Amino acid sequence: MIDKMREEELKEKIKKSKEIFEQAFDRFKPEDTRLIWSGGKDSSLTTWICKDFCKENNIKIPKAFTIDEGDAFEEIDEILHRLSKEWNIELDWGRNDDVLKAAGHKLNADVNVKDLNERNRAEIKRIGFDLERFPFEAESYVGNHLMKTVVFNSYIEENNVKAVFQGLRWDEQPARKNDPYFEDVPAGELQPAHTRVRPILHFTERDIWDTTLHFNIPYCPLYKQGYRSLGAKTTSIKTTDIPAWEQDLENTEERAGRRQDKEKTMERLRKLGYM
Amino acid sequence: MKNIILFTIDTLRKDALGCYGSLEDTPFIDSIQDKCIRFTNLQAIGPYTQASFPGILTSSYYLEYGKQKMLSMKRTLISEVLNKAGITTAAFHSNPYLSGYFGWNRGWDIFYDSMEEDVTDEVPYVKGDVINQNVDNWLSTYIKDKEYNRYFLWAHYMDVHEPYVPEKKYVDMIDPSITLSQAEMFALFKDPLLKRDVSDKGKVELLKKLYRAHVREVDGYVEEFFEILKKHDLLQNTVVIMTADHGDEFGEHGGLSHDGKMYSELINVPFLIYDYTRDKGEKCDTLMSNIDIPPTIVHLFGLDPVDNFRGISALPYAGYPEKGCFGEAIGKKSAHEKETDKPVYYYQEKNLKIIYSEAGDKWELYDLGSDPEELDNIIDTSLEAKGMKEKLQGAIAGIK
Repeated sequence: MIDKMREEELKEKIKKSKEIFEQAFDRFKPEDTRLIWSGGKDSSLTTWICKDFCKENNIKIPKAFTIDEGDAFEEIDEILHRLSKEWNIELDWGRNDDVLKAAGHKLNADVNVKDLNERNRAEIKRIGFDLERFPFEAESYVGNHLMKTVVFNSYIEENNVKAVFQGLRWDEQPARKNDPYFEDVPAGELQPAHTRVRPILHFTERDIWDTTLHFNIPYCPLYKQGYRSLGAKTTSIKTTDIPAWEQDLENTEERAGRRQDKEKTMERLRKLGYM
Repeated sequence: MKNIILFTIDTLRKDALGCYGSLEDTPFIDSIQDKCIRFTNLQAIGPYTQASFPGILTSSYYLEYGKQKMLSMKRTLISEVLNKAGITTAAFHSNPYLSGYFGWNRGWDIFYDSMEEDVTDEVPYVKGDVINQNVDNWLSTYIKDKEYNRYFLWAHYMDVHEPYVPEKKYVDMIDPSITLSQAEMFALFKDPLLKRDVSDKGKVELLKKLYRAHVREVDGYVEEFFEILKKHDLLQNTVVIMTADHGDEFGEHGGLSHDGKMYSELINVPFLIYDYTRDKGEKCDTLMSNIDIPPTIVHLFGLDPVDNFRGISALPYAGYPEKGCFGEAIGKKSAHEKETDKPVYYYQEKNLKIIYSEAGDKWELYDLGSDPEELDNIIDTSLEAKGMKEKLQGAIAGIK
């Protein structure tokens, strides 16, 4: 339960997010934008605010896009299917079928680079790897790049997407603390130019939960089981059985055990010669 | 009551320090020996970071909770003990194996592992000066208040770790005739270092010089670190414990870097306890283990011994019992541990060290007194062999 003052505070934060959406729709047509929706608490709140804003202003709600990395929690898939239907949002699913096929849809299977298509082979070269095979696993740097970054880049290219809405927050990790609400990403090799819009940057993890619970926004049941942050199934760890919002959010790590940390850590190990 | 700083340097060989050997690459560390107790016989419990750091920060052995990538919840970190006792804890390092991702962030009020920073292939960690800057920033805000809480600070430098790509100015301090470009140095990391190829003695010597250049560099960061303590007026009320997690090999036993071997160039590490108020340097030759470091910290803070810690306090060293020390690791033969790699164990008592490699069921016994380089395996001839085998087997059984 939250008091009146806190409720006002949260409403202010939502208002701020709606202003970001307003600016975004001044710049881009809704059909040229996408909500990046992982099914986690942050992107679900972003989607919820967007839906509310569009309804208030009679704007067509953008499509959403989610990436299936081949290692998702069933609970995440379930909530995405359920909410997109309930909220009447068209949801596109992206996956790197070429890699999935080469791995026989099995985690930890060896993927032979020569079995991949040209695009995927070029991507492996681009990130500095010269290898014949790699394991299709959640912690593999190459696998992750192919399953996520490449899928994202191909999708925005094929669908001519000009801007994407991301549910990132400043307090997520120190590296985010200078992220802007609007970031224009110039075209790069294999990456089309686009704008990243981050409407909920100013929400803290506490704000997310207070808002989600106060406004009865549906959330993935895994959070209730103790998960603080949801990534791929085999790389997300819960450190307690206490619901996420009852944990000591301010003094403990939100992202302990998350894939992004794993990716960075593994990349460091590789550079030190360990992988 | 004093604050305590644990200062660890990755991959720092004991004999790379002037105060332990014949080199002159560490003028600053050598210059503070009059304020130090210099321990000459501290053995790491393992020859690489994952195998050694459980000793330094949790006083437990590497494999005793099974082979796990994540730090087991059953281990107690020194930070958790101190934090519970109301002592402020802060960590600053850049080693991925000790990152928050692997669970080493428990119990720290401040935990900086640098994993968010961008790094290059040539220098895949943040350097000592960045660690120092973080320490300085933290101390500046923390001790602003005169009534600050006692603190425990752990700082760790990665700069000696491969790839050995030191800046020219440090290379010049070791051997100005070396004119390799950074790219050429990096090429030596790929081959022969990563290939563990010691066939070209000249290249091995060159690698060792580049390593020494990094040691020279690190000595400068240590000096800078002490300057920071001085600037904040902390020298006289802080004890600084310095050690390394393991050493490095340059062909002594047929390899390079630090794989799963238990020889002295990898596990006999430097161990110094600096206290500004000391009026002369001291030396302690007692055989000790790095599992003794957490209990030493607990002792210095005047806290009760911790049940979950296997070591005993190194201080006061005159009262330290004569006992053997043990270690275990995976006997990997390259930087990458394979699923099929098997454990390797050692047990040392006085001058005798026995090593058992499960792969090939291989036993080695060395008399470090007459054979400090561990080249003459006396397992088949020594009368002590049987007794030492039983002691090692007893130690393995004791932690299972």
